[in-house]
Amino acid sequence: MPPPLPTASPASITLERVTKRFPGGVVAVDKIDLIVEPGEFFSLLGPSGCGKTTTLRMIAGFEAADEGRVVVGGRDLTHVPVHHRDMGMVFQSYALFPHRTVAENVAFGLRMRGVARPEMAARVASALAQVKLEGYEARRPAELSGGQQQRVALARAIVIRPPVLLCDEPLGALDRKLRQAMQVELKELQRALGVTLVFVTHDQEEALAMSDRIGVMNSGRLEQVGAPADIYDRPRTRFVAEFIGEINLIEGRVHDGGFIAADGRVLPVSSEKGEGAAALALRPEKLRIVSSGAGVIDGVLSDASFLGDQVLYTVTLADGRRLLVKERNPGTGALRQNGSTLGVRWEPRDAVILRNA
Amino acid sequence: MRGRRASLGQRAYLVANGAILFFLLAPLAVVAVFALNPTPFIQFPPVGVTTRWFEKFFASAEFMGSLRLSLEVAAAVVVLATLIGAAAALALARGGLPGTRFLTALFLAPLMLPAILTGLALFQALQLAGFGRPTWALVVGHTLVAVPYVMRTTLAVLSDFDRRIEEAAASLGAPPLRVFFEVTLPIIRPGVIAGSIFAFIVSFDQFPISLFLVTPSRETLPVVLFNYMKFDLDGAIAAASMVSILLALAVVIVIDRLVGLRATMRF
Ligand SMILES: Nc1ncnc2c1ncn2[C@@H]1O[C@H](COP(=O)(O)OP(=O)(O)OP(=O)(O)O)[C@@H](O)[C@H]1O
Ligand SMILES: [Mg+2]
Repeated sequence: MPPPLPTASPASITLERVTKRFPGGVVAVDKIDLIVEPGEFFSLLGPSGCGKTTTLRMIAGFEAADEGRVVVGGRDLTHVPVHHRDMGMVFQSYALFPHRTVAENVAFGLRMRGVARPEMAARVASALAQVKLEGYEARRPAELSGGQQQRVALARAIVIRPPVLLCDEPLGALDRKLRQAMQVELKELQRALGVTLVFVTHDQEEALAMSDRIGVMNSGRLEQVGAPADIYDRPRTRFVAEFIGEINLIEGRVHDGGFIAADGRVLPVSSEKGEGAAALALRPEKLRIVSSGAGVIDGVLSDASFLGDQVLYTVTLADGRRLLVKERNPGTGALRQNGSTLGVRWEPRDAVILRNA
Repeated sequence: MRGRRASLGQRAYLVANGAILFFLLAPLAVVAVFALNPTPFIQFPPVGVTTRWFEKFFASAEFMGSLRLSLEVAAAVVVLATLIGAAAALALARGGLPGTRFLTALFLAPLMLPAILTGLALFQALQLAGFGRPTWALVVGHTLVAVPYVMRTTLAVLSDFDRRIEEAAASLGAPPLRVFFEVTLPIIRPGVIAGSIFAFIVSFDQFPISLFLVTPSRETLPVVLFNYMKFDLDGAIAAASMVSILLALAVVIVIDRLVGLRATMRF
């Protein structure tokens, strides 16, 4: 890899009760509070329409916040127009200048800043090297593949050495293989540049794999902010638990430091304070299948799907509810038999209690 | 099987296109033959080749004066219609104005209205206002019917314009005016230029509106041709037609060369 472009020092981003309403009564973003640390890879994750793009666009300055403040690097940018914000932006649609060559596209931001020609040429070359696009300088966007266009968009954004880089589903239009390769590259590039990166995606695997921290959004609100492992292992709301990965939810209540399921059964959890209605959340890979009677609950194995590295079993309980259990593929080619009666158990510390709001 | 069927389809396609081209170009051929044939009436097959009709056309002060006027008016119309049409298209597509659909229909209305009505209305308005029939009235009349063409072609380009491209430019530090001149304008240019070429042709060829706005001492080429035809129908008419076709073609080529229609159409 060529030596990284020196960056202006990465900036923190602070959102204070930022709100955006669209005509027609949609509250796209609802009083969001968020602090992104300098140099952090931060992902905004959530289902379609939850307000990720709108949040990003308010940071970039394309949308004005109806309430709240946007502070970047200690500077209040709430009322600063886009072209004075000095941020790199990468769009899902690439948004390259179709009438300009690759080199001209990348040089654009430098030209706006009045950078002298020799320095401009050096920085364009260096940025193109960073995204592995040497030799494409004279091409036009229409003559590039989707992946190459996205690299140009990335080079165009980083060449101005922004303290903050904003990406809205930048890999969304790429096929799976290429997307995974680009995930690794983008992460490496972000580290090398040390830039603060806000990354919007609705792909949870992408967010889990790339981020230092993730903010999970739902209907305009931030449900939970935390490290990927935190979000996955310790979801704080039902929405987060169900949105990320697969999960079993058992309704019941917290009583006397334990958890009592709706059917009256006391289920193993690490000790829990308080009282009240709640759900027990269990990841399928935290459950273990044991012989009948040796587990917490008995059930009948009703389905097995082979996932390659793992096997996903469905265990149907006496009351008709189902539990998903994931086991490592034993590699012997033999799956458990449908219809067999068996027990399911888990470690108390793997059970997460979600309080009803 | 599939290959044969495809080639059959291809052949039908070629035949259909050939027929359309023939249909469009045959009148040109007739005019060309007429213009070069020495007899003063339409005759087929032609009996020879002569340049006498072209000489007659170029020697006529009346023809030359009207050709000059037509070109001057068309030049002014191209500039005005392009500015107004492109600006109006931008405002309609971008302005977020209330009643955008109504305004679009209003601007495009001269396309639907028979030009002869537009001409009559203009004539009456000018009379009422006591302006008579000044040359600028010709320019105004032609511009009125030329603007919708520029708007149409510009709106077409704007309708699939990805506005993120402009946002990208802004995020890279370009203030609004620079975004417009460095990004928006180059991208919509092919539509604007196509519209300005239409504007030229609409004005240069304009007859019904001109009819109401010319004075006997100051007529445009189509009006002069029409009047000439009422009394003599000789090869000079055909020669004049050939000249105006070639002139229109030349203008299209010059505009193309100057502002590079093809180069900007490439993406
Ligand atoms: N310009 C707009 N005018 C009106 N409503 C809008 C506008 N932009 C977004 N919205 C609405 O605001 C809400 C949030 O939209 P946003 O684009 O931020 O969602 P998102 O999380 O990025 O979704 P996706 O994953 O589909 O891109 C949606 O309900 C959307 O319909
Ligand atoms: Mg979005």
